[in-house]
Amino acid sequence: MKPVVVTGLGAVSPYGAGVVAYWKGLAAGVCTIRDLTLIETDGFRCRIGAEVPGPLAGSARRTRADRLAIAAAGEALEDAGLGARDRRAAALVVGAVGGGMLEAEAWYWRGGARPACLSAVRAMLPSAHAETLSSRFALGGPRHTVVTACSSGAVALAEAAELIADGVVDVALAGGVDAVTRICFMGFNALKLLDPVPCRPFDRERRGMSIGEGAGFMVLESRARARARGAHVYATLAGHGMTTDAFHVTAPEPDGDGMVRAMTAALRQAGAAPAEVRYANAHGTGTPQNDRIEGRALARVFGEGGLLVSSSKSMIGHTMAAAGSLEAIATVLALEHGVVPPTANLATPDPDVPFDCVPRVSRGVPLACAISNSFGFGGQNVTLLFRRGPA
Amino acid sequence: MESKEVLDELKTILVARLKFDPRRAAETSESTPLPKGIEGSIGLDSLDFIELSIAIEERFGIAMDENQDLTEYFASFDTLSRFIAGKLPSA
Repeated sequence: MKPVVVTGLGAVSPYGAGVVAYWKGLAAGVCTIRDLTLIETDGFRCRIGAEVPGPLAGSARRTRADRLAIAAAGEALEDAGLGARDRRAAALVVGAVGGGMLEAEAWYWRGGARPACLSAVRAMLPSAHAETLSSRFALGGPRHTVVTACSSGAVALAEAAELIADGVVDVALAGGVDAVTRICFMGFNALKLLDPVPCRPFDRERRGMSIGEGAGFMVLESRARARARGAHVYATLAGHGMTTDAFHVTAPEPDGDGMVRAMTAALRQAGAAPAEVRYANAHGTGTPQNDRIEGRALARVFGEGGLLVSSSKSMIGHTMAAAGSLEAIATVLALEHGVVPPTANLATPDPDVPFDCVPRVSRGVPLACAISNSFGFGGQNVTLLFRRGPA
Repeated sequence: MESKEVLDELKTILVARLKFDPRRAAETSESTPLPKGIEGSIGLDSLDFIELSIAIEERFGIAMDENQDLTEYFASFDTLSRFIAGKLPSA
């Protein structure tokens, strides 16, 4: 197994375009969840979410999600300094759920009549992002689209790491993207999983999640290759664990067994002891079930109070297929800067979550090793374990 | 930007984005018809026109209205380059 390192980062978040804006917002604990403007929300119990502010990159003829993806992927490729020859051989793994659904919904609601917004409807499927990115950036290696609900962006990174570790490719662009869509907003409203006020992960009064949107991409590379070309190495993706609850379509398994197995597998692959991990960027959606069970699972692996835990979703909402990759970027930046981003909106810690969840204000802590958890509907659990620098 | 420069950019797009053979792109003249099915055309189909529209918008920083019938402007390189040049701020 070849060691896999992170050499490029790209993010488009509700803070705007770029990794710098993303980290600045997270580190300052700024919550971006407010009234939604992209879709009609009249009559819904929850009417808020976290939208990416304009203007967006690329032609308005593209879907919103494709435009988010192009900007984040372009930033990551440029940050890594990958030339045309590198890109020609690079794998592309994209986590996606909504695809171009936002534009397809708009077309459908107009009665599906011509003249349709043809260019957007053509890019409706989740696989369209990978087609757009490969064409736009001339990425010529294997191309995968991962659809595992809310863990898609994290699975994309894990699968890209496997392609490199197994020697299939030396370099990969991987991450996730999603735009706000009506079907996501209305579906979660119908499930009564949305908090009418900005979500409050790990708070005793929490009532659900807030939806968000964005794109996060990383350039992953074999450590040998990164060294040979003198690339800056942010972190090593030292281990990952992927498991399935096989329990329920939406609810996590109550004892958190699947989550525990994912975290344990990531530790084992990295050869890391639980005590080495000082920070967990939690899935932390803000739903009563997720946070309680995730807290329990973290305690089973790391011991009560064994590490700092925070939820980026408290600030940027749940960015769906982008969440796993945007939060992986947050984890890498926490290692790089020695700063744990906070959990915003956390006023009254839930005694069922036996950890310091870094309420409202970020914490300066030297970090060598951290994990990022992502759990998709249907119990699709992923843990990514990063070590600072080239390890 | 002059209409002639726009034309050169369009030929670049034809090769870089629509993956046309560079020799084939070089052989085209201003009056070469674009749409498939017309004698002597370079044979663009409906998907090619979408890619071409996106590439034009991103290269020239202009926006084209999808609700407007643009058929006459997409007839040849000549009509298209004049249409684009007319939308550029310097024109």
